[in-house]
Amino acid sequence: MTEPPAIACEGLGRDYGSVRALDALDLVVPRGTLVGVLGPNGAGKTTAMLLLATLLAPDRGAARVFGHDVTSERAAVRRRLGLLFQETSVDGLLSVRENLLFAARLSGMGGRLARAAVADAIERGGLGAHSGRPARELSGGWRRLVDIARATLHRPDLLILDEPTVGLDPEHREMIWSILDRERREHGTTILFSTHYLAEAEPADRVVLLAAGRVVAQDAPDRLRARLGEEMAEIEGPGAERLTRALRGLGAARTILRTGRGYRVGLVGPREPVVELAGGAPEVARFALRPVSLEDVYFASTRSGDEAAEAVPA
Amino acid sequence: MSAWSAVYGIVARDLTRTTRQTSRLLGGVARPFMWLLLVGTGYNAIARLEGGLPYQAYVFPGVVAMAALFGGMLTAVSTVYDREFGMLRLMLASPAGPGAVLLGRVLAASLVGILQGGIVLAVAPLVVSVTGERWLLALGALAAVAAMSATLGLLVAARLRSVENFAGIINVILFPLLFLSGALYPTAGMPPALRAVARLNPVTYAVDLLRHAFGQAGEFALATDVVVVLGVMLVGFAAGTLLFDPEQRFTARIPRRPPDSAPASP
Repeated sequence: MTEPPAIACEGLGRDYGSVRALDALDLVVPRGTLVGVLGPNGAGKTTAMLLLATLLAPDRGAARVFGHDVTSERAAVRRRLGLLFQETSVDGLLSVRENLLFAARLSGMGGRLARAAVADAIERGGLGAHSGRPARELSGGWRRLVDIARATLHRPDLLILDEPTVGLDPEHREMIWSILDRERREHGTTILFSTHYLAEAEPADRVVLLAAGRVVAQDAPDRLRARLGEEMAEIEGPGAERLTRALRGLGAARTILRTGRGYRVGLVGPREPVVELAGGAPEVARFALRPVSLEDVYFASTRSGDEAAEAVPA
Repeated sequence: MSAWSAVYGIVARDLTRTTRQTSRLLGGVARPFMWLLLVGTGYNAIARLEGGLPYQAYVFPGVVAMAALFGGMLTAVSTVYDREFGMLRLMLASPAGPGAVLLGRVLAASLVGILQGGIVLAVAPLVVSVTGERWLLALGALAAVAAMSATLGLLVAARLRSVENFAGIINVILFPLLFLSGALYPTAGMPPALRAVARLNPVTYAVDLLRHAFGQAGEFALATDVVVVLGVMLVGFAAGTLLFDPEQRFTARIPRRPPDSAPASP
């Protein structure tokens, strides 16, 4: 018998009054995978995570975590989860060790077991030098590391992380991702995370893009990038529109995205004719070729209205 | 086992927080003593109570109730703080569930109420004639009053999203509960309308319970006081469990807000 996936959602949706926060999420997350959820503010990322964490009841559809229904088997779901929300949930009046001991007890551990789990979490999180300090004396980065230690303390099978590195400097972001990588490597932990730092989603096995409560794209990052083209041209200046049209006429443009500064054109086919065309184009202030990024995918997938018409493949 | 560990963890955390907020703790203890010493001494000279009971002796059970009421209810601010800063969401998402979270919170707030009321109770021999047996009865009554107050505090905190809101609302609730309870003066002398309100006030029965414990004449039968105090506590706890349900299955008609629209966090 095959084991159920870490997450299986079908048509999962939730409204807040007349606002459709999450329309219908279809998602299957195999065990041990790293899945990034991207999308603009208000796209439904947090709502989806709260639904999976059993903190909200769905208005539509269903979701199962390791085969357990998030509505009717909440306790079974919660036993498998480690959660981290956008705001740091560390009690400033308690020391780091006391915060972690509270988390251990909250997850059902008592006595010696709780103390051993706390000692292990302090060691894994590199928090030894800070363990006796009141959490209010720590910097934002260290408080977030305490949060990560808390979320992983009971070795959950699934980590749901809502913007785990928001507001952190690169050094602390790196520390957090290294802890999470180790969790995956050593324990096969499944991780579902949201972020606005698109580079953080590059190593993900799968990226889910949400916009206005709907899934607008989901696939492996490589395949999502390949949909836009083999390379991305950034074109700026008064002549950008004319050059973009010419590239389209050449048959080299798979995707055209309008940005505040000009155009991004997803290119396919041989490079030389494109470079030649751009070299002779008048009034082009900047023409640069670079690999397609997840940021391009994000813009192409999450724009709405008039912008969307220009974001679709050419 | 799992749920009890969570309850223990919540109680331990709340008590640690309380002991580290010394100004709040001292303020909670000072309030009843100020009434007992400053107001009580003044009223002793002018108040004439039935049976010739000095005002300070009359007001003593009420002051013990005041300490438990304020200690128990004001501790609920921790719940609002935890909601504002996201900790409550984590607690509700723990395997123990909302029932264990509420039980932990009620126990912790009750202990704070018992601690503050117990300090007042410790000076009872200086103010009222009290035997060891009466003192123990009063301690039991204090525990029941503190638990009821803790439950009422959680009900107030159940839907509030900011500490500022709690601070604004709790005083509007606490003072009528205290002044219309017979804690500080007999309800018999009140206008009929206010007396009727006092009879609907659960704190009236809590104060009366403490009066019985100290051997003073009560307005109601002892059994009535016990039933009302424990009943309010149990009904309040059940209502709190519904209001704190993270899935909002029972409160779906209350307007729901998107998670990102809360002041800091839901």
